[in-house]
Amino acid sequence: MARAGGSDLAQQEQRLAYWLLAPTFIILLVIAIYPLVSVFYNSFTNAVFASTTPTEFVGLQNYQTLLSMTIKVVPPKLDEAGQPIIDEATGQIKYESAVSVLPREPMRFRQVTQFNLFGTQYVLGATDPDFIRAVWDTIIFAVATVFLELVLGMIVALIVNANFKGRGLMRAIILVPWAIPTAVSSQMWAYMLQPNRTGFFNTLFWYLGLGSGEIPFLSDPAWQLPSMIMIDVWKTTPFMALLLLAGLQLIPSDIYEAADVDGASPTRQFFQLTLPLLRGTIAVALVFRTLDALRVFDLFQIVLGQARYSMASYTYYQLIQNRQMGYSSASSVVIFVVLSIFAVAYMRSLGVKSDEH
Amino acid sequence: MNTKTRQRVNRILLWVLIIVMAIWMLFPFYWAINSSFKSESMLAMTPATFVPRDPTTKQISLFFRNYEAVFTNQAFLRAIVNSAVVAGSVTLLALAVGAFAGFALGKLRYRGKTGTLYVILAMTMFPAIAVLTGLYAMITNLGIQPIPSMIATYLLFSLPFTAWVLTAFFRELPTEIFQSAQVDGASPFQTFYMIMLPLTAPALVTTGLLAFIGAWNEYLFALTFTSIAPASRTLPVIIANFPSQFSMQIPFGEIMAAGIISSVPLIALVFIFQRRIVAGLTAGAVKG
Amino acid sequence: MKRRYLAVMGLLVIMAMVLSACGGGAPATQAPPAPAAQEAAPTEAPAAEAAAPAAESSGVVNLTFVSGGPGAGLDFTTKQVEEWNAAHPDIQVKIIAGPSSATDRYGLYLQTFQAQSSDIDVMEIDVIWPGDLAEHLVDLNEYGGAEAVADDFPAIVTNNTVDGRLVGLPFFTDGGLLYYRTDLLEKYGYSAPPATWAELEEMAAKIQEGERAEGNQDFWGFVWQGKAYEGLTCDALEWVYSSGGGTIVSPEKVITINNDAAASALDRAYSWIGKISPPGVTSFQEEESRRVWHGGNAAFMRNWPYAYSLSNGEDSAVVGKFDATSLPGAEAGMSAATLGGWQLAVSKYSKHPKEAAEFVKWLASTESQKTRAINISLIPTKKALYEDADVAAAQPFMPKLLPVFTSAVARPSTATAPRYNEVSNIFFTNVSDVLTGKQSGADAVANIELDLQDLLGFEVGAP
Repeated sequence: MARAGGSDLAQQEQRLAYWLLAPTFIILLVIAIYPLVSVFYNSFTNAVFASTTPTEFVGLQNYQTLLSMTIKVVPPKLDEAGQPIIDEATGQIKYESAVSVLPREPMRFRQVTQFNLFGTQYVLGATDPDFIRAVWDTIIFAVATVFLELVLGMIVALIVNANFKGRGLMRAIILVPWAIPTAVSSQMWAYMLQPNRTGFFNTLFWYLGLGSGEIPFLSDPAWQLPSMIMIDVWKTTPFMALLLLAGLQLIPSDIYEAADVDGASPTRQFFQLTLPLLRGTIAVALVFRTLDALRVFDLFQIVLGQARYSMASYTYYQLIQNRQMGYSSASSVVIFVVLSIFAVAYMRSLGVKSDEH
Repeated sequence: MNTKTRQRVNRILLWVLIIVMAIWMLFPFYWAINSSFKSESMLAMTPATFVPRDPTTKQISLFFRNYEAVFTNQAFLRAIVNSAVVAGSVTLLALAVGAFAGFALGKLRYRGKTGTLYVILAMTMFPAIAVLTGLYAMITNLGIQPIPSMIATYLLFSLPFTAWVLTAFFRELPTEIFQSAQVDGASPFQTFYMIMLPLTAPALVTTGLLAFIGAWNEYLFALTFTSIAPASRTLPVIIANFPSQFSMQIPFGEIMAAGIISSVPLIALVFIFQRRIVAGLTAGAVKG
Repeated sequence: MKRRYLAVMGLLVIMAMVLSACGGGAPATQAPPAPAAQEAAPTEAPAAEAAAPAAESSGVVNLTFVSGGPGAGLDFTTKQVEEWNAAHPDIQVKIIAGPSSATDRYGLYLQTFQAQSSDIDVMEIDVIWPGDLAEHLVDLNEYGGAEAVADDFPAIVTNNTVDGRLVGLPFFTDGGLLYYRTDLLEKYGYSAPPATWAELEEMAAKIQEGERAEGNQDFWGFVWQGKAYEGLTCDALEWVYSSGGGTIVSPEKVITINNDAAASALDRAYSWIGKISPPGVTSFQEEESRRVWHGGNAAFMRNWPYAYSLSNGEDSAVVGKFDATSLPGAEAGMSAATLGGWQLAVSKYSKHPKEAAEFVKWLASTESQKTRAINISLIPTKKALYEDADVAAAQPFMPKLLPVFTSAVARPSTATAPRYNEVSNIFFTNVSDVLTGKQSGADAVANIELDLQDLLGFEVGAP
């Protein structure tokens, strides 16, 4: 074939590219187009799931209910002299109840949380505090798990990349957490986190003298998210580790040999050789891991149920328990927007441009 | 410290890390095995025992009935086959189609690349429950059987993953090979088929393993699509709904036993394939 | 090049199709086979089909029945279905195991109704679903439902009647029970189980103190279900109703929750935590609380009847050392037990509602309930069976608990239909906040009233 000028080969490449991409697009569009379009469409209606009540178009009302938030000042309780009342027991100022401060018309705002800034007490109210909390909890969950999984996954990948006896076995072992079905590992962890000494962690803490053996890991709000994060990190580090391992394998070993000859320490080699070369793999691993973490459902549904929601489990309960199809579709769209923000942010900051060679 | 000692120290550090890592990964799995050999009363013991013990005599005593229940459960055995079929098909399809896409996105030049990448990714940005209703309506109205519907719908999440990962890997491959092949007269497709593909074997194996396990463990779609077709149920559905003696009882010991048994083939699979994750880049491709 | 590319794609597609065909994509024609060995029910596995494939024009009606989760209960029901099939060659029923979790099952039913599918003819529905699902269910009054429920407990029939339409025949019932340790009561000098909450607190505290002093540091006086889920609505409704606080929303559609009795009932429950109930009780569902009881670490437990047979199983630490009775009230005689149980319903989209109704009437009949009561301890809903000698012989605790089941209090699912799940959610979230110390009982009931007004638009009133 003649080495013709740009246009001929370029055109051939373009056509080949379209052919190669066609199956992907056909499959994805055929499967996804109807569900996704109905999600978008339903988000603007008040559709009820499995019901004969007529569906009406309500415009942006679902989104308003999901996302409306407000911040109000909570005044302290005053005694007759106009001075703030102090609680004898705790020494704290007593405040009015948030219900009296938050607006009621035209939509009722309920408390999400209260905080104190420069001595003034504020309440953050929302028309759907459960959803706001779910979004917040999910984002924290995602950031924590992805960070930990990246670091730990990197360590694990480096270890099994090294040469030692039993490396094959180790590689199989590291995949064990990922291989156990979520239904089983969630139940297993829920049992290990039992709030009494039938559970492993309470038994362990009690042996170590760290607690009474009655710590309620799954109902104490302070312990809930850390427990979820721990379960997910255990379960998904292998995923990251395996991806990073494959990326590490792509780096030719002569580079390391040359660096050794030059006398560079392993740490320096890692930060200046390995990391930059791994950037593409890390980018993909981060994007997918973060999107998966933000979409977390099984774990929260099985272990916490309705005690504490993730964005996806909240959507599930809205659709199945409350049968609010329009409302849950709107929440799916909001989730989509949140995920897009993360995806775009990753792509920009990791500088992954599509035409890089 | 001279190099010999430093190497020794590094070696010891490495082994310490390996052991810590192995313990962390395996301990919960060990705990599941521990629990799977316990009866109800053994599971209710306080403090929890690290080895199954008889509640009254405190002697070590293994309770085998959980495993008996699992092995005699026809639905469970059939589900292993179903899961293998579904996960296997999804993985093969996702790898094949994803490899094509990966090559195009990673190596070829054409307009609209970033857009394509984002559109493919966008498919995974919805929570599973959002698309479930629409998909169920589709397959009910079109009358599609449960197993093909599971295969098709799992692709929704696996295909973007394989496409993106393989794009990253194809991109990493040095262009010299590509260009030298072109000089030698190979068409772009021949380059893909005979040179790129073998070189990305580590990536294919890795992505394949991860996609396989992901599809193997999917619950929500499987539960919905096989609701009236018990013969097509996959493992996670059977395990989560394991037969219990009484209505509200959750047969924990048996669920653990079933979980252990269903993880074994996956672990074996990984062990077989992990050799292939080793690099092939220096296998003479550049010099040859 | 293009040809080779198409060949590869074609090969892959064919491979995938072959694989999926091997996987048995054909719908099930056999009943799910028996899993674990079972002493109560006879053990031949139903290897024979419970359904005959439809002949083209023989006039055989094929029905699909989605029943409970896999297990001993389902196995027995399958045998009953086989009996029916043998006796009715023209109406063949195929029984399929549904998911074990009620939420999963509800979701499945909703999906089928949304698709208006005729795939499922008969289904088992929870006691709180008739109101929600009424629009998709057949009115069984049109098929002789009224005679079929003549002997059932009236509370259940009222629960299953939505706007005058009887949408479910009672299959079995359930009610919250107070389990107590007979050996410990004797040991600490109590002659009878507590009749009031105050008595319960006193007895639980004394027994707990004593057992702990003897070295059992995991022992607690009273365990129940405190996690934020539907089960908490059941438990809390019992506290509230037994204190005279009403049923959240009355059957006349009046919001009655905001009253002092209800508020103090919730505060009392909060006072138990850490004293006679473990701090972890706020993450307990039925199984977690039963596990504490099963290991011999609780003096009292509130749970459903299913725990009775399990606690008498060979492997339990409390075999023969316990009994069950009605829950205490604010004063003696004010006991309340939340109504549970499942009903049989026919889908409106079924192609054979008449035949399905025939089957349902048979499966819910007194004879069927009697065999189920004797073999798998499902509590009957027919008053006559509580005077039946065979039932009393096989399951002595059933006739004893008749007062519990007749006076069970139903959750306000029919009154608040079709939004009961949201009502329950509001209720249990606020109760959960009381139990975790985030708000007082008075604030909670006030919040619940406000939220319910917003949601339902009902009037408020006294219980």
